Amino acid sequence: MTAKIGSKVTGMEEAIAAIPPGSQIALGGNTVHRSPSAAVHELVRQEKRDLTIIKTAGGYDVDLLVGAGCVAKLIVAYVGFENLQGLAPQFRAAVEQGRVVLEEQTCTSVITGLRAAAQGIPFMPIAGMSGTDIVRGRFLSVRNPYGEGEVVTVPAIWPDWAIIHVQEADTAGNARIRGTQFEDVLMSKAAHQVLLTCERIVDGSEFASQPDLTTIPAFQVDMVVEAPGGAWPASCAGCYGVDEAYLAEYYQAASGASPEKIRSFVTQRAVGIPQTAGATP
Amino acid sequence: MSLAASGAASSVDTANLTPDVMMAVAMSRLLRDGELAFHGVASPLPMVAILLAKATHAPNLVYLNITGSIDPTPGHLPHSTVDPLLLQGTRSMITLADAFDLSARGELDTVFLSGVQIDPAGRINMSAIGEYGHPKVRLPGGAGSAFLMSTANRILLWRTRHDPRTFVEQLPFVTGTGNVDRVVTPLCIFRRDPEQNRLVVESIHPYSSAEEVAAQTGFAVDVAGVPTTPAPSEQEIAALERVDPEGVRRLEFS
Repeated sequence: MTAKIGSKVTGMEEAIAAIPPGSQIALGGNTVHRSPSAAVHELVRQEKRDLTIIKTAGGYDVDLLVGAGCVAKLIVAYVGFENLQGLAPQFRAAVEQGRVVLEEQTCTSVITGLRAAAQGIPFMPIAGMSGTDIVRGRFLSVRNPYGEGEVVTVPAIWPDWAIIHVQEADTAGNARIRGTQFEDVLMSKAAHQVLLTCERIVDGSEFASQPDLTTIPAFQVDMVVEAPGGAWPASCAGCYGVDEAYLAEYYQAASGASPEKIRSFVTQRAVGIPQTAGATP
Repeated sequence: MSLAASGAASSVDTANLTPDVMMAVAMSRLLRDGELAFHGVASPLPMVAILLAKATHAPNLVYLNITGSIDPTPGHLPHSTVDPLLLQGTRSMITLADAFDLSARGELDTVFLSGVQIDPAGRINMSAIGEYGHPKVRLPGGAGSAFLMSTANRILLWRTRHDPRTFVEQLPFVTGTGNVDRVVTPLCIFRRDPEQNRLVVESIHPYSSAEEVAAQTGFAVDVAGVPTTPAPSEQEIAALERVDPEGVRRLEFS
Protein backbone atom coordinates (compact mmCIF):
# COMPACT_ATOMS: atom_id res chain seq x y z
CA MET A 1 0.00 0.00 0.00
CA THR A 2 0.99 3.58 -0.44
CA ALA A 3 1.86 5.16 2.85
CA LYS A 4 -0.35 8.03 3.95
CA ILE A 5 2.20 10.83 4.42
CA GLY A 6 2.39 14.61 4.24
CA SER A 7 -0.20 17.17 5.18
CA LYS A 8 -3.76 15.92 5.16
CA VAL A 9 -5.39 19.11 6.26
CA THR A 10 -8.57 19.98 4.47
CA GLY A 11 -11.83 21.79 5.08
CA MET A 12 -14.88 20.11 6.59
CA GLU A 13 -16.96 20.51 3.44
CA GLU A 14 -14.30 18.90 1.23
CA ALA A 15 -13.62 16.13 3.73
CA ILE A 16 -17.26 15.10 3.98
CA ALA A 17 -17.71 15.42 0.20
CA ALA A 18 -14.98 12.77 -0.17
CA ILE A 19 -17.06 10.21 1.72
CA PRO A 20 -19.35 8.46 -0.77
CA PRO A 21 -23.02 7.75 -0.10
CA GLY A 22 -23.55 4.21 1.09
CA SER A 23 -20.35 4.21 3.18
CA GLN A 24 -20.06 2.30 6.42
CA ILE A 25 -18.96 4.83 9.01
CA ALA A 26 -17.77 4.21 12.55
CA LEU A 27 -18.38 7.26 14.73
CA GLY A 28 -16.07 7.98 17.66
CA GLY A 29 -17.13 9.01 21.15
CA ASN A 30 -19.85 7.60 23.38
CA THR A 31 -23.44 8.80 24.03
CA VAL A 32 -22.98 12.60 24.30
CA HIS A 33 -19.23 12.70 24.76
CA ARG A 34 -16.56 13.54 22.15
CA SER A 35 -18.92 12.69 19.32
CA PRO A 36 -17.70 13.97 15.93
CA SER A 37 -20.69 16.32 15.85
CA ALA A 38 -19.35 18.96 13.43
CA ALA A 39 -18.67 16.22 10.87
CA VAL A 40 -22.13 14.78 11.51
CA HIS A 41 -23.66 18.22 10.96
CA GLU A 42 -21.84 18.42 7.61
CA LEU A 43 -23.06 14.93 6.62
CA VAL A 44 -26.58 16.24 7.27
CA ARG A 45 -26.00 19.45 5.32
CA GLN A 46 -24.69 17.48 2.33
CA GLU A 47 -27.69 15.13 2.54
CA LYS A 48 -25.46 12.07 2.47
CA ARG A 49 -27.56 8.95 1.91
CA ASP A 50 -27.63 5.22 2.65
CA LEU A 51 -24.96 5.27 5.33
CA THR A 52 -24.33 2.41 7.70
CA ILE A 53 -23.44 3.82 11.12
CA ILE A 54 -21.35 1.78 13.55
CA LYS A 55 -21.08 2.70 17.22
CA THR A 56 -21.34 1.06 20.62
CA ALA A 57 -23.47 3.74 22.31
CA GLY A 58 -24.76 6.63 20.24
CA GLY A 59 -26.76 9.69 21.19
CA TYR A 60 -27.43 12.99 19.44
CA ASP A 61 -25.11 12.06 16.56
CA VAL A 62 -26.95 8.88 15.59
CA ASP A 63 -30.43 10.29 16.24
CA LEU A 64 -29.68 13.30 14.06
CA LEU A 65 -28.28 11.27 11.14
CA VAL A 66 -31.28 8.95 11.25
CA GLY A 67 -33.69 11.89 11.44
CA ALA A 68 -32.10 13.66 8.49
CA GLY A 69 -32.58 10.57 6.34
CA CYS A 70 -28.85 9.81 6.00
CA VAL A 71 -28.95 6.29 7.40
CA ALA A 72 -29.90 2.95 5.84
CA LYS A 73 -28.53 0.71 8.58
CA LEU A 74 -27.36 0.93 12.18
CA ILE A 75 -24.92 -1.40 13.89
CA VAL A 76 -25.30 -0.21 17.48
CA ALA A 77 -25.88 -1.37 21.05
CA TYR A 78 -27.54 1.76 22.44
CA VAL A 79 -29.01 4.97 21.08
CA GLY A 80 -30.25 7.43 23.65
CA PHE A 81 -29.76 10.56 25.69
CA GLU A 82 -29.17 8.71 28.97
CA ASN A 83 -31.14 10.54 31.67
CA LEU A 84 -30.92 13.94 29.95
CA GLN A 85 -34.00 13.35 27.77
CA GLY A 86 -36.46 10.59 26.93
CA LEU A 87 -36.19 7.97 24.19
CA ALA A 88 -34.18 9.06 21.12
CA PRO A 89 -37.04 10.48 19.03
CA GLN A 90 -35.83 9.98 15.48
CA PHE A 91 -34.10 6.65 16.11
CA ARG A 92 -37.21 5.35 17.77
CA ALA A 93 -39.56 6.52 15.00
CA ALA A 94 -37.35 5.21 12.20
CA VAL A 95 -37.07 1.73 13.72
CA GLU A 96 -40.76 1.58 14.60
CA GLN A 97 -41.68 2.58 11.04
CA GLY A 98 -39.10 0.29 9.43
CA ARG A 99 -37.20 3.14 7.77
CA VAL A 100 -33.78 1.91 8.93
CA VAL A 101 -32.37 -1.56 9.32
CA LEU A 102 -31.28 -2.06 12.91
CA GLU A 103 -28.59 -4.61 13.59
CA GLU A 104 -28.84 -4.57 17.36
CA GLN A 105 -25.66 -5.63 19.10
CA THR A 106 -24.16 -5.42 22.56
CA CYS A 107 -21.26 -2.98 23.13
CA THR A 108 -18.82 -5.83 23.52
CA SER A 109 -19.75 -7.48 20.24
CA VAL A 110 -19.22 -4.20 18.38
CA ILE A 111 -15.80 -3.98 20.02
CA THR A 112 -15.10 -7.64 19.19
CA GLY A 113 -16.10 -7.11 15.54
CA LEU A 114 -13.82 -4.07 15.33
CA ARG A 115 -11.02 -6.03 16.99
CA ALA A 116 -11.40 -8.78 14.37
CA ALA A 117 -11.12 -6.21 11.58
CA ALA A 118 -8.15 -4.54 13.25
CA GLN A 119 -6.45 -7.93 13.39
CA GLY A 120 -7.35 -8.88 9.84
CA ILE A 121 -9.44 -11.92 10.69
CA PRO A 122 -13.00 -12.68 9.55
CA PHE A 123 -14.51 -13.27 12.98
CA MET A 124 -13.60 -13.49 16.63
CA PRO A 125 -14.87 -15.53 19.56
CA ILE A 126 -16.60 -13.68 22.39
CA ALA A 127 -17.12 -14.81 25.98
CA GLY A 128 -20.60 -15.44 27.34
CA MET A 129 -23.64 -14.27 25.34
CA SER A 130 -25.77 -17.28 26.21
CA GLY A 131 -29.51 -16.75 26.46
CA THR A 132 -29.73 -13.32 24.86
CA ASP A 133 -31.94 -12.87 21.80
CA ILE A 134 -29.24 -10.60 20.35
CA VAL A 135 -27.30 -13.71 19.38
CA ARG A 136 -30.25 -15.33 17.62
CA GLY A 137 -29.91 -15.40 13.83
CA ARG A 138 -26.85 -13.19 13.94
CA PHE A 139 -23.89 -14.63 15.81
CA LEU A 140 -22.92 -18.23 15.10
CA SER A 141 -21.21 -20.56 17.55
CA VAL A 142 -18.26 -22.82 16.80
CA ARG A 143 -16.97 -25.82 18.66
CA ASN A 144 -13.82 -25.05 20.63
CA PRO A 145 -11.18 -26.80 18.48
CA TYR A 146 -8.77 -27.06 21.44
CA GLY A 147 -11.09 -28.16 24.21
CA GLU A 148 -14.61 -28.53 25.46
CA GLY A 149 -17.76 -26.70 24.53
CA GLU A 150 -18.97 -24.10 22.10
CA VAL A 151 -18.07 -20.45 21.77
CA VAL A 152 -20.09 -17.62 20.23
CA THR A 153 -18.35 -15.71 17.42
CA VAL A 154 -18.81 -12.21 16.05
CA PRO A 155 -18.14 -11.32 12.39
CA ALA A 156 -15.52 -8.66 11.69
CA ILE A 157 -16.76 -5.09 11.34
CA TRP A 158 -14.68 -3.29 8.69
CA PRO A 159 -15.82 0.32 8.50
CA ASP A 160 -15.07 2.16 5.27
CA TRP A 161 -14.46 5.23 7.39
CA ALA A 162 -13.90 6.12 10.99
CA ILE A 163 -14.77 9.71 11.87
CA ILE A 164 -13.10 10.70 15.12
CA HIS A 165 -12.95 13.99 16.96
CA VAL A 166 -9.83 14.58 19.05
CA GLN A 167 -8.40 17.46 21.04
CA GLU A 168 -5.09 17.75 19.21
CA ALA A 169 -3.65 16.58 15.89
CA ASP A 170 -0.77 17.63 13.71
CA THR A 171 -1.13 18.25 9.99
CA ALA A 172 -0.08 14.68 9.17
CA GLY A 173 -2.75 13.19 11.44
CA ASN A 174 -0.87 12.21 14.57
CA ALA A 175 -3.53 12.54 17.24
CA ARG A 176 -3.76 12.92 20.97
CA ILE A 177 -6.97 12.07 22.76
CA ARG A 178 -7.41 13.56 26.21
CA GLY A 179 -9.65 11.76 28.65
CA THR A 180 -11.47 8.62 27.62
CA GLN A 181 -10.54 6.99 24.29
CA PHE A 182 -13.81 5.08 24.03
CA GLU A 183 -13.53 2.86 20.91
CA ASP A 184 -11.82 5.54 18.85
CA VAL A 185 -8.29 4.14 18.70
CA LEU A 186 -9.68 0.71 17.86
CA MET A 187 -11.86 2.25 15.14
CA SER A 188 -8.82 3.97 13.65
CA LYS A 189 -7.18 0.56 13.26
CA ALA A 190 -10.29 -1.25 12.00
CA ALA A 191 -11.42 1.29 9.40
CA HIS A 192 -10.09 1.47 5.86
CA GLN A 193 -9.91 5.25 6.05
CA VAL A 194 -9.86 7.76 8.88
CA LEU A 195 -11.17 11.32 9.03
CA LEU A 196 -9.88 13.18 12.07
CA THR A 197 -11.45 16.37 13.26
CA CYS A 198 -9.67 18.23 16.02
CA GLU A 199 -10.05 21.13 18.41
CA ARG A 200 -6.70 22.46 17.22
CA ILE A 201 -3.91 21.58 14.85
CA VAL A 202 -0.59 21.72 16.67
CA ASP A 203 3.02 21.63 15.53
CA GLY A 204 3.90 17.92 15.30
CA SER A 205 7.32 18.55 16.81
CA GLU A 206 5.49 19.17 20.11
CA PHE A 207 4.47 15.51 20.07
CA ALA A 208 8.08 14.28 19.85
CA SER A 209 8.78 14.98 23.53
CA GLN A 210 5.93 12.68 24.64
CA PRO A 211 5.11 10.37 21.72
CA ASP A 212 3.44 7.90 24.09
CA LEU A 213 0.53 10.34 24.34
CA THR A 214 -0.09 10.04 20.60
CA THR A 215 -2.61 7.23 20.35
CA ILE A 216 -3.44 7.49 16.64
CA PRO A 217 -0.39 7.52 14.30
CA ALA A 218 -0.41 9.63 11.16
CA PHE A 219 0.07 6.77 8.71
CA GLN A 220 -3.44 5.53 9.50
CA VAL A 221 -5.10 8.88 8.92
CA ASP A 222 -6.43 10.17 5.58
CA MET A 223 -7.81 13.60 6.34
CA VAL A 224 -7.44 16.16 9.12
CA VAL A 225 -9.93 18.96 9.68
CA GLU A 226 -9.46 21.68 12.26
CA ALA A 227 -12.87 22.06 13.91
CA PRO A 228 -12.81 23.98 17.19
CA GLY A 229 -15.90 22.95 19.14
CA GLY A 230 -16.22 19.97 16.81
CA ALA A 231 -17.75 17.70 19.45
CA TRP A 232 -20.36 20.23 20.57
CA PRO A 233 -23.09 19.71 21.79
CA ALA A 234 -21.28 16.63 23.12
CA SER A 235 -18.55 17.16 25.68
CA CYS A 236 -14.87 17.25 24.81
CA ALA A 237 -12.69 16.41 27.82
CA GLY A 238 -10.50 19.30 28.89
CA CYS A 239 -12.30 21.70 26.51
CA TYR A 240 -16.03 21.89 27.22
CA GLY A 241 -18.89 19.99 28.81
CA VAL A 242 -22.19 18.68 27.47
CA ASP A 243 -24.58 21.39 26.27
CA GLU A 244 -27.70 20.10 27.96
CA ALA A 245 -29.76 23.17 27.00
CA TYR A 246 -29.07 22.64 23.31
CA LEU A 247 -29.85 18.92 23.59
CA ALA A 248 -33.19 19.79 25.20
CA GLU A 249 -33.88 22.16 22.32
CA TYR A 250 -32.96 19.49 19.77
CA TYR A 251 -35.17 16.99 21.57
CA GLN A 252 -38.16 19.31 21.32
CA ALA A 253 -37.50 20.14 17.69
CA ALA A 254 -36.74 16.59 16.60
CA SER A 255 -39.78 14.88 18.11
CA GLY A 256 -42.00 14.12 15.14
CA ALA A 257 -39.93 16.27 12.76
CA SER A 258 -39.48 15.54 9.05
CA PRO A 259 -35.99 15.13 7.52
CA GLU A 260 -36.34 18.61 6.03
CA LYS A 261 -37.10 20.07 9.44
CA ILE A 262 -34.14 18.26 10.98
CA ARG A 263 -31.86 19.59 8.26
CA SER A 264 -33.09 23.14 8.68
CA PHE A 265 -32.64 22.87 12.46
CA VAL A 266 -29.02 21.87 11.91
CA THR A 267 -28.43 24.60 9.35
CA GLN A 268 -29.84 27.30 11.59
CA ARG A 269 -28.83 26.10 15.00
CA ALA A 270 -25.71 23.93 14.82
CA VAL A 271 -23.16 26.60 14.05
CA GLY A 272 -20.03 27.03 16.16
CA ILE A 273 -20.12 26.63 19.93
CA PRO A 274 -22.87 28.71 21.46
CA GLN A 275 -22.82 30.31 24.88
CA THR A 276 -24.92 27.52 26.31
CA ALA A 277 -22.07 24.97 26.30
CA GLY A 278 -21.69 23.29 29.67
CA ALA A 279 -19.01 23.66 32.30
CA THR A 280 -15.47 22.72 31.31
CA PRO A 281 -14.61 19.40 32.90
CA MET B 1 -47.51 4.77 45.13
CA SER B 2 -48.91 4.39 48.59
CA LEU B 3 -46.86 6.00 51.30
CA ALA B 4 -48.64 4.02 54.00
CA ALA B 5 -46.18 2.90 56.63
CA SER B 6 -45.80 -0.81 57.11
CA GLY B 7 -45.85 -0.52 60.84
CA ALA B 8 -42.27 -1.70 61.26
CA ALA B 9 -40.29 0.12 63.90
CA SER B 10 -37.49 2.31 62.59
CA SER B 11 -35.16 4.94 63.94
CA VAL B 12 -35.78 7.21 60.95
CA ASP B 13 -39.03 8.97 60.17
CA THR B 14 -40.36 6.83 57.32
CA ALA B 15 -43.18 9.24 56.51
CA ASN B 16 -40.60 11.45 54.81
CA LEU B 17 -38.62 8.62 53.24
CA THR B 18 -38.62 8.90 49.44
CA PRO B 19 -37.90 6.13 46.90
CA ASP B 20 -34.72 7.82 45.58
CA VAL B 21 -33.19 7.76 49.07
CA MET B 22 -34.41 4.26 49.88
CA MET B 23 -33.15 2.88 46.56
CA ALA B 24 -29.75 4.57 46.73
CA VAL B 25 -29.22 3.24 50.25
CA ALA B 26 -30.55 -0.25 49.47
CA MET B 27 -28.33 -0.50 46.36
CA SER B 28 -25.34 0.74 48.31
CA ARG B 29 -25.82 -1.84 51.06
CA LEU B 30 -25.65 -4.64 48.49
CA LEU B 31 -22.08 -3.69 47.58
CA ARG B 32 -19.18 -5.40 49.33
CA ASP B 33 -15.92 -3.98 50.57
CA GLY B 34 -12.99 -4.84 48.34
CA GLU B 35 -14.94 -5.85 45.26
CA LEU B 36 -14.72 -4.46 41.71
CA ALA B 37 -18.02 -2.78 40.82
CA PHE B 38 -19.02 -1.30 37.45
CA HIS B 39 -21.87 0.76 36.02
CA GLY B 40 -22.60 1.87 32.48
CA VAL B 41 -24.53 4.58 30.67
CA ALA B 42 -27.68 6.16 32.12
CA SER B 43 -26.89 5.04 35.67
CA PRO B 44 -27.22 7.93 38.16
CA LEU B 45 -28.48 5.69 41.00
CA PRO B 46 -25.64 3.14 40.65
CA MET B 47 -23.11 5.98 40.50
CA VAL B 48 -24.50 7.42 43.73
CA ALA B 49 -24.85 3.98 45.37
CA ILE B 50 -21.22 3.07 44.62
CA LEU B 51 -19.91 6.40 45.93
CA LEU B 52 -22.12 6.02 49.00
CA ALA B 53 -20.81 2.50 49.65
CA LYS B 54 -17.24 3.77 49.39
CA ALA B 55 -18.09 6.56 51.84
CA THR B 56 -19.63 4.15 54.33
CA HIS B 57 -19.11 0.38 54.61
CA ALA B 58 -16.99 -0.36 51.52
CA PRO B 59 -14.02 2.04 51.39
CA ASN B 60 -11.93 -0.52 49.51
CA LEU B 61 -14.47 -1.17 46.78
CA VAL B 62 -12.90 -0.48 43.35
CA TYR B 63 -15.21 1.75 41.33
CA LEU B 64 -15.14 1.27 37.55
CA ASN B 65 -17.27 2.92 34.88
CA ILE B 66 -17.36 3.60 31.13
CA THR B 67 -15.03 6.57 31.27
CA GLY B 68 -12.29 4.15 32.30
CA SER B 69 -11.59 5.98 35.53
CA ILE B 70 -10.80 4.01 38.66
CA ASP B 71 -12.06 5.27 42.02
CA PRO B 72 -12.77 8.79 40.77
CA THR B 73 -13.61 11.53 43.25
CA PRO B 74 -15.87 13.79 41.19
CA GLY B 75 -16.29 17.31 42.55
CA HIS B 76 -19.89 17.33 41.47
CA LEU B 77 -21.87 14.54 39.93
CA PRO B 78 -22.68 14.57 36.21
CA HIS B 79 -26.13 13.97 34.74
CA SER B 80 -24.64 11.63 32.13
CA THR B 81 -22.74 8.75 33.70
CA VAL B 82 -20.16 8.71 30.87
CA ASP B 83 -19.20 12.32 31.51
CA PRO B 84 -15.54 13.37 31.75
CA LEU B 85 -16.44 14.74 35.20
CA LEU B 86 -16.10 11.10 36.26
CA LEU B 87 -12.39 11.26 35.43
CA GLN B 88 -11.64 13.57 38.35
CA GLY B 89 -9.23 12.09 40.83
CA THR B 90 -8.45 8.92 38.89
CA ARG B 91 -4.79 7.90 38.91
CA SER B 92 -4.98 5.45 36.03
CA MET B 93 -7.33 4.58 33.23
CA ILE B 94 -8.59 1.52 31.44
CA THR B 95 -10.58 1.28 28.24
CA LEU B 96 -14.13 -0.01 28.00
CA ALA B 97 -12.72 -3.02 26.15
CA ASP B 98 -10.46 -3.64 29.16
CA ALA B 99 -13.47 -3.60 31.49
CA PHE B 100 -15.28 -6.12 29.27
CA ASP B 101 -12.16 -8.29 29.14
CA LEU B 102 -12.09 -8.28 32.92
CA SER B 103 -15.67 -9.52 32.95
CA ALA B 104 -14.90 -12.19 30.34
CA ARG B 105 -12.12 -13.50 32.59
CA GLY B 106 -14.49 -13.77 35.55
CA GLU B 107 -12.81 -10.92 37.42
CA LEU B 108 -15.58 -8.32 37.40
CA ASP B 109 -17.43 -8.82 40.67
CA THR B 110 -20.54 -6.70 40.43
CA VAL B 111 -22.33 -4.82 37.66
CA PHE B 112 -25.41 -2.61 37.99
CA LEU B 113 -27.87 -2.96 35.11
CA SER B 114 -31.48 -2.06 34.50
CA GLY B 115 -34.33 -3.28 32.32
CA VAL B 116 -37.35 -1.47 30.97
CA GLN B 117 -39.08 -4.80 31.55
CA ILE B 118 -37.97 -7.56 33.91
CA ASP B 119 -39.36 -11.10 34.01
CA PRO B 120 -39.64 -13.58 36.93
CA ALA B 121 -36.20 -15.05 36.15
CA GLY B 122 -34.59 -11.60 36.26
CA ARG B 123 -34.14 -11.44 32.50
CA ILE B 124 -34.30 -7.95 31.01
CA ASN B 125 -35.76 -6.29 27.94
CA MET B 126 -34.10 -3.05 26.85
CA SER B 127 -34.88 -3.48 23.15
CA ALA B 128 -38.52 -3.22 22.12
CA ILE B 129 -42.10 -3.28 23.36
CA GLY B 130 -44.37 -5.28 21.10
CA GLU B 131 -43.21 -7.40 18.20
CA TYR B 132 -39.45 -7.03 17.84
CA GLY B 133 -39.48 -6.64 14.04
CA HIS B 134 -42.30 -4.05 14.14
CA PRO B 135 -42.10 -2.62 17.63
CA LYS B 136 -44.75 -0.50 19.23
CA VAL B 137 -41.96 1.23 21.14
CA ARG B 138 -38.33 0.96 20.17
CA LEU B 139 -36.21 1.24 23.33
CA PRO B 140 -32.56 2.42 23.50
CA GLY B 141 -30.97 -1.04 23.55
CA GLY B 142 -29.09 -2.74 26.34
CA ALA B 143 -25.60 -1.28 25.67
CA GLY B 144 -23.29 -3.82 27.36
CA SER B 145 -26.04 -5.78 29.17
CA ALA B 146 -26.18 -8.91 27.00
CA PHE B 147 -22.47 -9.49 27.45
CA LEU B 148 -22.14 -8.39 31.07
CA MET B 149 -25.09 -10.42 32.36
CA SER B 150 -23.59 -13.56 30.85
CA THR B 151 -20.06 -12.93 32.13
CA ALA B 152 -19.95 -10.77 35.29
CA ASN B 153 -19.96 -12.60 38.61
CA ARG B 154 -22.94 -10.75 40.05
CA ILE B 155 -25.60 -8.57 38.50
CA LEU B 156 -27.57 -6.10 40.60
CA LEU B 157 -30.63 -4.83 38.74
CA TRP B 158 -32.38 -1.64 39.62
CA ARG B 159 -35.55 -0.13 38.18
CA THR B 160 -37.20 3.11 39.29
CA ARG B 161 -40.66 1.99 38.21
CA HIS B 162 -42.51 -0.89 39.85
CA ASP B 163 -45.78 -1.70 38.10
CA PRO B 164 -47.36 -4.61 36.20
CA ARG B 165 -46.08 -3.29 32.85
CA THR B 166 -42.49 -3.30 34.14
CA PHE B 167 -42.41 -6.59 36.05
CA VAL B 168 -43.97 -8.90 33.50
CA GLU B 169 -44.53 -12.62 33.15
CA GLN B 170 -43.01 -12.79 29.66
CA LEU B 171 -40.64 -10.57 27.69
CA PRO B 172 -41.11 -9.92 23.97
CA PHE B 173 -37.31 -9.89 23.61
CA VAL B 174 -34.56 -10.99 25.99
CA THR B 175 -31.84 -8.36 25.77
CA GLY B 176 -29.87 -9.86 28.63
CA THR B 177 -29.96 -12.73 31.07
CA GLY B 178 -27.81 -14.29 33.76
CA ASN B 179 -26.19 -13.92 37.16
CA VAL B 180 -28.87 -11.69 38.70
CA ASP B 181 -28.55 -11.54 42.46
CA ARG B 182 -30.96 -8.77 43.52
CA VAL B 183 -33.44 -6.35 41.96
CA VAL B 184 -34.02 -3.05 43.77
CA THR B 185 -37.25 -1.17 43.02
CA PRO B 186 -39.06 1.79 44.62
CA LEU B 187 -41.21 -0.71 46.54
CA CYS B 188 -39.04 -3.66 47.45
CA ILE B 189 -35.94 -5.77 47.00
CA PHE B 190 -36.19 -9.00 45.03
CA ARG B 191 -33.66 -11.78 45.50
CA ARG B 192 -33.22 -14.35 42.77
CA ASP B 193 -33.61 -17.83 44.20
CA PRO B 194 -31.07 -19.85 42.21
CA GLU B 195 -32.90 -23.14 42.85
CA GLN B 196 -36.12 -21.99 41.17
CA ASN B 197 -34.36 -19.34 39.03
CA ARG B 198 -37.09 -17.00 40.14
CA LEU B 199 -37.33 -13.61 41.80
CA VAL B 200 -38.70 -13.72 45.34
CA VAL B 201 -39.57 -10.67 47.44
CA GLU B 202 -36.85 -10.34 50.05
CA SER B 203 -37.94 -7.16 51.80
CA ILE B 204 -40.54 -4.44 51.37
CA HIS B 205 -39.62 -0.79 51.84
CA PRO B 206 -41.03 0.89 54.96
CA TYR B 207 -43.47 3.15 53.08
CA SER B 208 -44.91 0.31 50.95
CA SER B 209 -46.87 -2.82 51.81
CA ALA B 210 -47.24 -6.47 50.89
CA GLU B 211 -50.51 -5.66 49.15
CA GLU B 212 -48.94 -2.93 47.07
CA VAL B 213 -45.98 -5.08 45.99
CA ALA B 214 -48.28 -7.94 44.99
CA ALA B 215 -50.64 -5.65 43.10
CA GLN B 216 -47.84 -3.83 41.26
CA THR B 217 -45.94 -6.94 40.16
CA GLY B 218 -47.12 -8.53 36.92
CA PHE B 219 -46.17 -12.04 37.98
CA ALA B 220 -47.07 -14.09 41.04
CA VAL B 221 -45.08 -13.25 44.17
CA ASP B 222 -45.33 -14.55 47.70
CA VAL B 223 -45.47 -11.57 50.03
CA ALA B 224 -46.61 -13.35 53.19
CA GLY B 225 -44.33 -12.67 56.14
CA VAL B 226 -41.80 -10.68 54.11
CA PRO B 227 -39.74 -8.39 56.35
CA THR B 228 -39.45 -4.63 56.01
CA THR B 229 -36.33 -3.18 54.40
CA PRO B 230 -34.44 -1.46 57.23
CA ALA B 231 -34.96 2.27 56.82
CA PRO B 232 -31.84 4.31 56.07
CA SER B 233 -29.94 5.20 59.21
CA GLU B 234 -29.10 8.79 60.07
CA GLN B 235 -25.50 8.07 59.13
CA GLU B 236 -26.51 6.69 55.72
CA ILE B 237 -28.70 9.71 55.02
CA ALA B 238 -25.94 12.10 56.05
CA ALA B 239 -23.42 10.28 53.84
CA LEU B 240 -25.88 10.30 50.92
CA GLU B 241 -26.29 14.06 51.26
CA ARG B 242 -22.50 14.48 51.19
CA VAL B 243 -22.09 12.22 48.16
CA ASP B 244 -25.03 13.55 46.15
CA PRO B 245 -25.92 17.00 47.51
CA GLU B 246 -27.56 18.06 44.24
CA GLY B 247 -29.82 15.00 44.11
CA VAL B 248 -28.58 13.70 40.76
CA ARG B 249 -30.15 10.36 41.72
CA ARG B 250 -33.57 11.94 41.30
CA LEU B 251 -33.00 12.35 37.54
CA GLU B 252 -34.18 8.78 37.20
CA PHE B 253 -37.56 9.63 38.66
CA SER B 254 -38.44 12.52 36.36
